[in-house]
Amino acid sequence: MALLEVTNLVAGYGKVEVISDVSFTLEPGKSIGIVGPNGVGKSTLLQAIAGGIAPKGGTITFDGKNIAGKKPEDIVRLGLSLVPEGRQIFSGLTVRENLSLGLTGRRNKKGANEAILKVRELFPVLLTHENHQAGMLSGGQQQQLAIARALISEPKVLLLDEPSLGLAPTVITDVFDRLKEIIEMGTAVVIVEQRANLVTSFAEKTIVIRDGKVQSTLTSADAANSESLQRSYFGAGE
Amino acid sequence: MKHGGVTKFSIQNLLGPIIVLILLTHFVGGASTSLQLVTQMALCLFVMVLALQVFVGNSGVLSFGHGAFALIGSYVSAILTAPVNIKDNALSMNQLWEPLVSPQVNIYVALVISAAVSGLIAAITGIFLMRLNGLAAGIATFALLGVAYNVFFNNKKIGPGSQALPGVPLIDNNWILLLLAVLSLILVYFINISRIGRTLRATREDAMAAPALGISIFKVRLIAFIISGAVAGLSGGMYSHVAGTFQVQDYYLEFTFITLSMLIVGGSASIWGALVGTFLITAVGQVLLMMEQDLPVFGIQVQIPLGSRAVIIALTFVAVLLWRSGGITNGKEFRIPKLKKIS
Amino acid sequence: MVQSILDAISLGGLYSLAALGLGLVFGVMRLVNFAHAELITIAAYTLVLTAQFPLAVSLLFTVIVTVFVALLMEFSVYRRLRGVNPAIMLIASFGLSTVLQRVYELMFGALPRSAVVAPFLRGDFKVAGLSITISSIITIVLTIVILLAMGYLIEKTSLGLQLRAASADFKTARLLGVRSNRLISAAFGLSGVLAACVALILVIQNPQISPYYGLNITILSLVGIVIGGIASLRGAALGGFIVGVVLSSLNTLLGNGRVYAYSWLFILVLVILLVRPGGLLSKGSELERV
Repeated sequence: MALLEVTNLVAGYGKVEVISDVSFTLEPGKSIGIVGPNGVGKSTLLQAIAGGIAPKGGTITFDGKNIAGKKPEDIVRLGLSLVPEGRQIFSGLTVRENLSLGLTGRRNKKGANEAILKVRELFPVLLTHENHQAGMLSGGQQQQLAIARALISEPKVLLLDEPSLGLAPTVITDVFDRLKEIIEMGTAVVIVEQRANLVTSFAEKTIVIRDGKVQSTLTSADAANSESLQRSYFGAGE
Repeated sequence: MKHGGVTKFSIQNLLGPIIVLILLTHFVGGASTSLQLVTQMALCLFVMVLALQVFVGNSGVLSFGHGAFALIGSYVSAILTAPVNIKDNALSMNQLWEPLVSPQVNIYVALVISAAVSGLIAAITGIFLMRLNGLAAGIATFALLGVAYNVFFNNKKIGPGSQALPGVPLIDNNWILLLLAVLSLILVYFINISRIGRTLRATREDAMAAPALGISIFKVRLIAFIISGAVAGLSGGMYSHVAGTFQVQDYYLEFTFITLSMLIVGGSASIWGALVGTFLITAVGQVLLMMEQDLPVFGIQVQIPLGSRAVIIALTFVAVLLWRSGGITNGKEFRIPKLKKIS
Repeated sequence: MVQSILDAISLGGLYSLAALGLGLVFGVMRLVNFAHAELITIAAYTLVLTAQFPLAVSLLFTVIVTVFVALLMEFSVYRRLRGVNPAIMLIASFGLSTVLQRVYELMFGALPRSAVVAPFLRGDFKVAGLSITISSIITIVLTIVILLAMGYLIEKTSLGLQLRAASADFKTARLLGVRSNRLISAAFGLSGVLAACVALILVIQNPQISPYYGLNITILSLVGIVIGGIASLRGAALGGFIVGVVLSSLNTLLGNGRVYAYSWLFILVLVILLVRPGGLLSKGSELERV
């Protein structure tokens, strides 16, 4: 059974419909990439899944429960965490406080210390800056903090919205290496990226969104073929 | 307050509210002496709410300071027209400053002067206030009201202080008040559809984007603030000639709250909203007042406990906001429906 | 002279407590709760009407009643207005404030209600030949204790961390699992507790309670949180303190001109806002859209 199943999702802001029909499934411990040009509603899609906005239609089944329209604070407790676009760390709080906030979303309060230790092991750089204001960190460190903070609730699914945004190429590699480790440790990952090549290289499948709909689904084999990627990304005629 | 507002001139949009105003003045204002006074006061308040609409409704910046302009307008018109003997004798044991005692001006000249003085003060204060945004602007405009109230309440050299200045000559004519209201309405309507109005509404949606578009928020806000201050001054002037007195306490917190609620209950984004809000709250207030006094309302006698009127008005107001945060009209202008041709 | 300084500090402390109550609620929901005034008023009424009981009982009862009214506001009105334009919320809070004032008038009458609360805190004593009122000392001590407790709560507890995070970015805080309803209720509850503390101090100084009792201090604290920097609780407390100290000092310094103290205070406020639109403790020039 799929861990996360999105069916015919419709979402948007106010009267504007950004996502008109998106469906996909995600198995436990697997990864899925979502790509598409700027402004096609990739962030809207993630926000709708995580409860940031209420979907206008369709269903979102997570772990056998319909979570469409639930509050974000309840969804994170079920085991689905979003790392929002632009990281959104609390720059006025310390690194330690940012991480502690991640604990609020845990289902059970037991095992919190282990989770913190695990995250620290994964992101050793955060340990050295623990008492610094999070706003003082570099872009890459802030992104690591945002991911670490979401991981502390030990989610079954981690949603990431453009983790490469504003990062230098070497830093991006670093962040994506961490993501691979996270997947290997058993967390399923949904990753939205504007740069398709970043995602297709490691996600089992990648869906391309255009005009609010799923335009095509690529496997990693397709992705290796850059021509087919180009075609599905930009549309056949262009 | 995020609703569009009208941008293009349409004679139907302009005539709609005017016709409703004329009908209200004719039927309600002519019904009885007590209703005549209520109508006259409502017309003054309507001008005040229009003043708020042109600034608050377009810019989205909440102003708690317009009471100061109404206060000043009311004061100027009253001090210029009240009989010399009253100013000389009745006021706080002859403390009034000498040059203020003698002037005697025609009511309508006085009204023009009161609008001009309020507009001028809006211009001077606006140069500072309009640099601020959001809550800071709200508190700063409140500070303006605070200073005006504090000075007029305590200074007996310039005015009656905490007492009332009686004997202000009356404009005892519904149609003249109506004319003033209609003129203000037309002015505000043309500001709303002008470039200034459109630009202000654009800055309301996104205060960050406006400078990028080469729009000086400051300039358009200042212009709207000056016009709005002048109209508020006119409304204060009108009020002193309807009530026959000038009193500082009439223009403080309660006045600020009532006029802002009229605007917001009606819908701050349109003139029609200003009209609906003003007359609805006035009507509800009047009906409840009659109930409190155990008078029949439309032939039905319902008595409510003394003092519950204000509770019910405020509750209604909160209920409207809960029901519809854009106000009753939700930003729409009233149009006279086009006559359909019968084919 | 010494008494004037103590008065200034105690008024400043009192205003910073009121400002903190307003700032807590503003932080979590961008609501300027004008009806905070009516929380202070109901607390003052409760203190006076239960004055025949021992002070501890009366105080406990006051805190319960005030927190109840604060939560009632949240559940009946503000919860339904969440996410609405802050200007609309502010106006709604004006409306709620009027409703409560009139309800108090119907319940307790328009004339002031009075009783002697904590008579042992009245009077004065002499230190090195100087006469000092007990109430000013008590006010300062109480304020310091309450501010320290609030500081601990906000800086060191999980609730405080959540409050700070939600004040900075509620959306992200919710994504991390901060329960919005609980947190906002907690903020209202705390603002109720603070209102009760403010009322206690006010009532010791002036036990004549009318339906408008809390209005003045609330308006001035509102001014305070804006000049202090509404984005942070420290700014709110600092701003409230400044307003209190300035007002008290003006009253001393202006002599016969003290009727114009408010005008000078408001002019100072305008100057501060023009120099630092985001408040004294703001960083940079963020455009805040309220």
